[in-house]
Amino acid sequence: MRILLMGHPNVGKSVVFNRITGANVTESNYPGTTVDYEKGYVRIGHEEMEVIDVPGTFSLEPKDKAEEVAVKMLERNKDSVVVCIIDSTKIERGLYLALEIIERGSRVVVALNMWDIAEDKNINIDVEKLRQILGVPVVPTIAVSGEGIKELVSRISGATSVKIESVMKNVGGS
Amino acid sequence: MKLSVDERWDIIDKISKETVKFGEYRHTLKDALAEITVKPLTGIPIAIAVLYGFWSFFGAFAGFFTDGFLVKLFDGHWLPWLQDVFPGGLGNWFYSIMVDAGHMESGVLVAADNCFESFGVLTSGLFVAIGVVLPAIIAFYLFLIILEDSGYLPRLAVLIDTVFHKIGLHGFAVVPMILSLGCNVPAVTATRNLETKKQRFMMMTLLAIFIPCGAQLGIMLDVIPEYVGFVMLYLFLGFFVFGFILNELIPGKSPEMILDVPPYHMPTGRNVGRKLWARLRGFFTVAIPFVLLGVVFVNVLYLVGVIDWLANVFEPVLVGWFGVPKETTAPLVAAFMRKDLAVGQLMGIQEQLGMVAFNTYQLVTSVVLVSLYFPCIATVAMIIKEGMQDRGKGVITFLLGSLAVLMAVVFIWGGLLHLIWIILGVA
Repeated sequence: MRILLMGHPNVGKSVVFNRITGANVTESNYPGTTVDYEKGYVRIGHEEMEVIDVPGTFSLEPKDKAEEVAVKMLERNKDSVVVCIIDSTKIERGLYLALEIIERGSRVVVALNMWDIAEDKNINIDVEKLRQILGVPVVPTIAVSGEGIKELVSRISGATSVKIESVMKNVGGS
Repeated sequence: MKLSVDERWDIIDKISKETVKFGEYRHTLKDALAEITVKPLTGIPIAIAVLYGFWSFFGAFAGFFTDGFLVKLFDGHWLPWLQDVFPGGLGNWFYSIMVDAGHMESGVLVAADNCFESFGVLTSGLFVAIGVVLPAIIAFYLFLIILEDSGYLPRLAVLIDTVFHKIGLHGFAVVPMILSLGCNVPAVTATRNLETKKQRFMMMTLLAIFIPCGAQLGIMLDVIPEYVGFVMLYLFLGFFVFGFILNELIPGKSPEMILDVPPYHMPTGRNVGRKLWARLRGFFTVAIPFVLLGVVFVNVLYLVGVIDWLANVFEPVLVGWFGVPKETTAPLVAAFMRKDLAVGQLMGIQEQLGMVAFNTYQLVTSVVLVSLYFPCIATVAMIIKEGMQDRGKGVITFLLGSLAVLMAVVFIWGGLLHLIWIILGVA
């Protein structure tokens, strides 16, 4: 099984990738560090899974070559689990990409990365509620220090795809 | 089912209302820092200070190790020792390639007394790679990685945006440009962040021609420290002049791009160390073999007479148009392999010819020519690879286009420098 790490530029996909696979992908604090995909492996239970660090993309309508790579990766790997990494301080636009991926029918796990910075900025996110509405696992993470990564990995094998209609129902029904 | 853009934002609105609470936000030191580094009034002086700091650190670090320690080691101990123990001796072909070709002084073949002049694989090759370039790139990458990880680079991009727009590139083009100062090869890959084919073509071509790499910068700093500033300024000026012209000439769009500026982070020692190590490993495994091979390549061409033949063929152009001695042919050939090697070789040639036949202004012109005239082989390979991905079958036009720009630049920008020296009365 394949795992795709997707998200906006500079949310820390490469940091999560290095944490999960023990690889040495370049991490920098500017958008657009990863322009091509990188592969690595992680063992979950007894299964060895391939992890792909996908270049950052704002949406699934590509604007530059690095984004095209990202969208092609998703289209070619329809049966893979997508770990959608969101910058917790900019959760709305991260959710936009997450919804687009959910709509395409992929199995999704959401990582709310940079959780510490969100706390510093006094942004409170109700993780449990978000999990209920989206119907997919949601895990707060601080990739640079490794917090939450273990839980994130443990949620990957249990990920299921959800219908966007059910998300609409969940959000409308309260 | 697929939603429309509006429907998606509508759902996100609702989700966010239910799950996210924005508490009171206090302005922190980080925010203050973030603000003063992007506002032009304070940002530009800070940028100049940062770049000046970069420059000083680079010079001090590289100078300390190279001049204070490694030059003495190589010239004082390594070279005499090799000249002593290496089999063959002056005049032997294998000895010339590996240690010292010697040079003619009033009709007699004499041995070299420093590692620039000797031009052997084990002398000049190792000296340029380890003695001069290694300290320079350690200093360069260390500073660059800290800039990368802290989040300062995108802020620099915001500041430079206005100038870059004039040449049809957006501020983000500063990232490949700065990477290019380290090595052109990763910089070519980084151009993928640019949006249109026009922009990528322009950026690849311009950076391959005008931006000297870290290795070349390091050796320039060692051999012509007082002129490096001028050379850099002349090259950057060329970058913008030709960028402006290309932008006017090439059809295609240069759309605006909204740049996301990340918050500042304290760089972690672990990541800095890891990245520095990755870059150095690349230097040891790729660059050093190329430097050594380059020496072999040029020496073999010397021995079979190809260099002398080329020098005579190009003499009218070199002397007449650029105003440099015909002996600069060999470094120009070496520059195909490695630019740092070429600059080192120029230095050796100046010492052999003497200051009268090859004065400092001519040296500066030849250093500029070495930078301009052809990207090193590793960069060419990368440009071909990226060009193929970008254009498919159009790659031929792409490469020919690049080559045409290159030829025009070498003749115009190189010739202009000669003209400047003539006007100043020093040529």
